[in-house]
Amino acid sequence: MASNRKKSRGESLFLRYLILGGWALFCLAPVLWFLSIGLRPRTEIITPQPIYIPTFSLDAWHMIWEDWPMGKYLRNSVAAIIGSVIIDLVLAIPAAYSLSRFEYKGRDDIGFYILSTRMMAPAIVAVPIFFLFRNMGLLDTIWALMLVYAAINLSFVTWIIRSYMLDIPKELEDAARTDGAGEIRILWEIIIPAILPGIITASVIAMIFAINEFLFTLLIASTPDAYTMSVALANFTGGSDGVIYNAIALVAFLAFVPVFLVVVAIQKHLSRGLTMGAVKG
Amino acid sequence: MARIELNNIQKKWGAFWGVRDVNIDIKDEEFVVFLGPSGCGKTTTMRMIAGLEEPNEGEIKMDGEVMNDIDARDRDVAMVFQGYALYPNMSIYENIRFPLRMRGVPKDQHDGLVKKAAGLVELTDYLDRKPSALSGGQRQRAALARAIVREPQVFLMDEPLSNLDAKLRQAMRVQIKHIQRALKITTVYVTHDQIEAMTLADRIVIMQSGMIQQIGTPDEIYNDPTNTFVANFIGSPPMNLIEGTLSDGTFVADGVRVTGIESTTEGKVTLGVRPEDCTVSASTEAELNGTVYGLEPTGDVTYLTVKAGDKLIEVKADRTYRADLDVPVQVAFDPDRIYVFDSEDGKRIQ
Repeated sequence: MASNRKKSRGESLFLRYLILGGWALFCLAPVLWFLSIGLRPRTEIITPQPIYIPTFSLDAWHMIWEDWPMGKYLRNSVAAIIGSVIIDLVLAIPAAYSLSRFEYKGRDDIGFYILSTRMMAPAIVAVPIFFLFRNMGLLDTIWALMLVYAAINLSFVTWIIRSYMLDIPKELEDAARTDGAGEIRILWEIIIPAILPGIITASVIAMIFAINEFLFTLLIASTPDAYTMSVALANFTGGSDGVIYNAIALVAFLAFVPVFLVVVAIQKHLSRGLTMGAVKG
Repeated sequence: MARIELNNIQKKWGAFWGVRDVNIDIKDEEFVVFLGPSGCGKTTTMRMIAGLEEPNEGEIKMDGEVMNDIDARDRDVAMVFQGYALYPNMSIYENIRFPLRMRGVPKDQHDGLVKKAAGLVELTDYLDRKPSALSGGQRQRAALARAIVREPQVFLMDEPLSNLDAKLRQAMRVQIKHIQRALKITTVYVTHDQIEAMTLADRIVIMQSGMIQQIGTPDEIYNDPTNTFVANFIGSPPMNLIEGTLSDGTFVADGVRVTGIESTTEGKVTLGVRPEDCTVSASTEAELNGTVYGLEPTGDVTYLTVKAGDKLIEVKADRTYRADLDVPVQVAFDPDRIYVFDSEDGKRIQ
């Protein structure tokens, strides 16, 4: 009996590793493939015969840093993304607090309206947004990118934070109130620390959306002054050099790395609820 | 140190009455327990005292001052919640200190006050921990320390022990009563547990459907219930309520005959007798003649269930009492401890 059970547990463990390992490979394969393309000479990539032993080359690496201002694009990306997330949080946290905690007429309608801004196709507002920013003189600046990214992400950042706030026991606020805290204190000292995992989760998702944003960035950034990584990718196609696959792959990989590092760093918060232990349970 | 008056308090949500016609005068340093089944309005009444809920009508006064329009955070009231409501991101030390920071107590006093409060609830060794690293009983004591740290005018406790196991509950009961006596702070305590109410209270307020059924000391409530609800709610097992008819001072129901009742009422009434006021008797003249339906020895007492007609009557018998099922049994009622209630509205007649 005992040995049987041991054996079957061993088998199920093996099966588990097989399935999870297979899934991990499936997810990671494109990333590794990008990296492998990015670090090979251009001639080797476009050959029709498969090459089993690749040649290592930093051609693409030198190209993107020396021929193109990739550092600047990276800075633009980072600045626009971080700025947009800050704007989102400053607006979304009070909005979510209001939507989750106060009773007033039309509250749920407002909540739905905020979410519904996410439901239309972005192309519908592309042209109006272009004219809007042109008239404000913000075309080709990272300020415009910040605002656009913030606007795109605001609705779901608000909703994620709101859902975390709804999970906070009302007793916690009642306790703070009888302890002598006002609304702002309650939000700042009790609610925000308790929903930190939610804020981090929402911020990371917003960053990922922003780093991948292409349409509006292309529209707003007409010169390298405001180019981001995603638009810079488009620079490696067309022109007299044709499609520069290894440069595209390497830039795509570089755009992936910061997001990956952020997710690894905050993994703990993404899964763990800080409200544990606040109330019974 | 405060006297709390509730004058004609009403709370309504739409057509639903949460609290209705509540009038209580809670004396300074008194320990008052609100007792009732869930949804009876006891917690709502407490929340109105705290300022977390506003009454639709009526006046809440503390030391003669009307508090209705005063915010929860400006009332000198501390509350302990059923779910503890500790701040999860703060250590126990910071949790206990929080009300001091919020109320602008000078910083140099914080450490001493926090340690004093923690000492009172025996939590000194756990001050660095987060709430999640404490057991249920420790969390409850931390919540208690947070309430007592600033020595408020009024303590409010909303079923603070209901999440604890029976043994811990008993220990905490003693501790709460001790602390309340030591600090001499007016306390309102909400519970649905009659043992907590009986053991802790100076006075018990029994509520049902938003209305006060009776206010009195534990002895008064036990010995002089004003209606069948109170009679049935206090006591374990609860009072036996037997429907029957009364004429010429004699009460008759299936298997039950009680003589010598001093009442001029005639017709349908409900007779009440507590299990502890019943004794198994050898006499066939005894008040109750029935058969043994069930027997539950618990060690210190044996609960006997007697079937008379289609009615089951609980009797607290001697711990050595044993009997076979379905055998005839006679039970005598203590003639001084028989209650008569109106069958219609449940009000006490005699």
